[in-house]
Amino acid sequence: MSPLVSVKTETNTYLSKLLKQFASDSQSKNLKELRDRAKSLVESSRLPDKKDEEWQFTDLSELLEQDFQLAPVAEVSTQILEEYALLETRESRIVFVNGYYSPELSNISAIDATVYVGNLKGLDEARQAKIVNHLADEVGNEKLFAALNTSGLEDAAVIWAKANAIATIPIQILHLSAPEESTKFSQPRTIIVAEKSSNLQIVEKYGVAGDEYGKVPYLTNTVTQIWLEENARVNHTRVQKEALSCFHIAKTAVFQERDSHYTGNEISIGSKLYRHNIEVTQKGEQTETNLNGLVTISDKQLADTHSLVSLNLPHGTVNQLHKCIVSDRARAVFNGKILVPQKAQLTNATQLNRNLLLSPKARVNTKPELQITADDVKCAHGATISQLEEDEIFYLRSRGLKETDAKFLLIDAFAAEIIDRISIESLRKRLTQCVACKTVN
Amino acid sequence: MSSTTVKNLVNQPYKYGFVTDIETDTIPRGLNEDIIRLISAKKNEPEFMLEFRLKAYKQWQKMTEPKWPHVEYPPIDYQDIIYYSAPKQSKEKLNSLDEVDPAILETFEKLGIPLSEQKRLANVNVAVDAIFDSVSIGTTFKEKLGEAGVIFCSISEALQEHPELVKKYLGTVVPVGDNYFAALNSAVFSDGSFVFIPKGVECPMELSTYFRINNGDTGQFERTLIIAEEGAKVSYLEGCTAPMYDSNQLHAAVVELIALDNADIKYSTVQNWYAGDENGKGGIYNFVTKRGLCQGVNSKISWTQVETGSAITWKYPSCVLIGDNSVGEFYSIALTNNKQQADTGTKMIHIGKNTRSTIISKGISAGKSKNSYRGLVKMGPKADGARNYSQCDSMLIGDTAEANTFPYIQADNDRAKVEHEASTSKIGEDQLFYFAQRGISEEDAVSMLVSGFCKDVLNELPMEFAAEADKLLSLKLEGSVG
Repeated sequence: MSPLVSVKTETNTYLSKLLKQFASDSQSKNLKELRDRAKSLVESSRLPDKKDEEWQFTDLSELLEQDFQLAPVAEVSTQILEEYALLETRESRIVFVNGYYSPELSNISAIDATVYVGNLKGLDEARQAKIVNHLADEVGNEKLFAALNTSGLEDAAVIWAKANAIATIPIQILHLSAPEESTKFSQPRTIIVAEKSSNLQIVEKYGVAGDEYGKVPYLTNTVTQIWLEENARVNHTRVQKEALSCFHIAKTAVFQERDSHYTGNEISIGSKLYRHNIEVTQKGEQTETNLNGLVTISDKQLADTHSLVSLNLPHGTVNQLHKCIVSDRARAVFNGKILVPQKAQLTNATQLNRNLLLSPKARVNTKPELQITADDVKCAHGATISQLEEDEIFYLRSRGLKETDAKFLLIDAFAAEIIDRISIESLRKRLTQCVACKTVN
Repeated sequence: MSSTTVKNLVNQPYKYGFVTDIETDTIPRGLNEDIIRLISAKKNEPEFMLEFRLKAYKQWQKMTEPKWPHVEYPPIDYQDIIYYSAPKQSKEKLNSLDEVDPAILETFEKLGIPLSEQKRLANVNVAVDAIFDSVSIGTTFKEKLGEAGVIFCSISEALQEHPELVKKYLGTVVPVGDNYFAALNSAVFSDGSFVFIPKGVECPMELSTYFRINNGDTGQFERTLIIAEEGAKVSYLEGCTAPMYDSNQLHAAVVELIALDNADIKYSTVQNWYAGDENGKGGIYNFVTKRGLCQGVNSKISWTQVETGSAITWKYPSCVLIGDNSVGEFYSIALTNNKQQADTGTKMIHIGKNTRSTIISKGISAGKSKNSYRGLVKMGPKADGARNYSQCDSMLIGDTAEANTFPYIQADNDRAKVEHEASTSKIGEDQLFYFAQRGISEEDAVSMLVSGFCKDVLNELPMEFAAEADKLLSLKLEGSVG
């Protein structure tokens, strides 16, 4: 984002209107300072518009038209869990509704003492203080929405694995929005800490409770921060399946110490406007980062993924594959940056963005970017935009498949490359069905 | 290789860096409406040109310099530039090349571009337009080309003799307010080449323009316009050099190509402006707008560039593919060394059906240079069946050079196909070892590897140019691998 110098009054009042809704006195002193700092950053900012390079294709003007109120604590029935909870995480899940912790819906009975799974308020003082310190070193380009989230920060979902802890079962964080009849906004926050040599498998899921309110616009402004200490491994799958009236603005910030492995699987299906900033910062040598993305959109949806991987030290590995399936009048935006400065010798980085356009009005804007100053590196990137091949459909039809079945098979295969990388079976199954219902009609 | 030999070799002198001492007709520094009127009057231009210039100037005043390129330079003082400088002529109008100041003829001879036709007999297939600072010195083989119906002359001459053609096409591809430097050029351009190939004519020889900046305070603002009518075919080359000065000179050119039905234009550039010394002092700012319009069906425009000079290059030769089945091509080698900076690439705008484009870009960065590829591939909503293939490879030599790629891909059509690939690598130890094993010195090995890396592009150049460009590449790189 360009420097936040010019303050447009219109968008500024809009932001301060949102800011005013946050309770002024926070319970925790540690948090207060953090919130105040974030608040002043938001106050001196303006909402980005199409003139900002990073927001060229993602128009926020529709967001400006809405008068969002902070979403209240809401109760949702346990039935909703059937739709979102996974078989593997029945006893290892935490649920947040509108950003507020819901102990009734959560179940962490299968988790042992080496891993803390719960909310920030329930965490011991020492670690709470540590988290606040961590939160203070927020980095990255897209500060505004993250700062807005911090300005209202009261509680957060926390997963904290102690050194050498190995979580044998996946852990699910379920963030539900319970939209009401008026336009609401919620700001879920997730904090994941993987101490030395720990191993975590996490599913972070965003969904909507009940679709009877599916037509009222709502905003989810979410931030997820993940710290991987030396030799830690985190496998993180993020599924976004909000209602089609949702504006979903998200940031995932990952900090990797020496020898750590991070795998991020991003699946985006819902929302009318989806913007995800992924920022990975390498803080030690020999880290490995795998980013997989699958975006399936139709109707008038817009899905925008901006990823930034900054390598700072030698022997880093980055593999990124981002795939988009775009139909109807939807638009997919991808901008992937990989920075390889002089110190990051022996980096091995690949980045590939593949797009499948399924209808004449579907659009794709992509910009894979490499900035390299180190010479002893292997870096490659690529981007393709294509359609279903006539020949391939013909081949399948000559084998007796109906045209729709043939098309579905090909779309399914396109999506499978990402879905197959997810280690949780029931989620894999569910996503495959989801891609099918979304694209074949 | 020892570090001292490396140093010696890096400091290869720029052999075109001499200055020709001649009397010049120079106008005062600075830019305002009066200066523009003065330039227009000096060139005795028709009224519509002055209007064109003033309109561009008004637009330019409202614009700001682009900040998005990945290059850095101190602010340019546009009031400190001399916008017109021409060698003094004894006569009002020269009848033949023999009347040109011998010092200038000698300059071009020294540059390897003999202008007298007898001397060129050995190499008869190239007609040359030689441009010295702000004016065209002369054009060779005019009569021979005239027989075929081809018009090849300086743009000032075209304004006198074919004003209707210039009026019809000038500014149609690059409008006066297109961008900051194009607007500046439209306001003050002094000379350039004009090519018109009539219907059905295949140009009998290669056309070529040689640009030379001589004056240390002058900016060069040339304008080239090439029109190929239905079924016409032409191959055009340009070359450029400048003396070594400590100050930076601005070169802001505009090139417009128009291809009607079934026409074919091939435009090749070997750019070797003075690049500044190893500390980045001096050198040319090469801020150029080049664009081709494939207006007719089945037309084709092909850009080939070898960019080795200039302190800063900012250049995006583009193709607007309007005609159905039209073809755009871009082949580029950009080599930067020392503190050179290049932000170059292309734009392929697909508008018509079944339009095709190919982009092959090879970037080589050595020393402390910055080399960026920036490109746009746009598939319009009506570009059914359009295809693009892009390949951008970078080679890094030394760990202080920078290579970046910024490819923008925009598809608004589900029957179009885009493929983009990019890679970055260095010359491998094992490759050099293999050569050494066969008794080939490291120096020769690097130059062979580089020319192999660039082969796809070099093959696109006309023969004489390809050999020259290959030599230029190895010369520029000598000693940068140690």
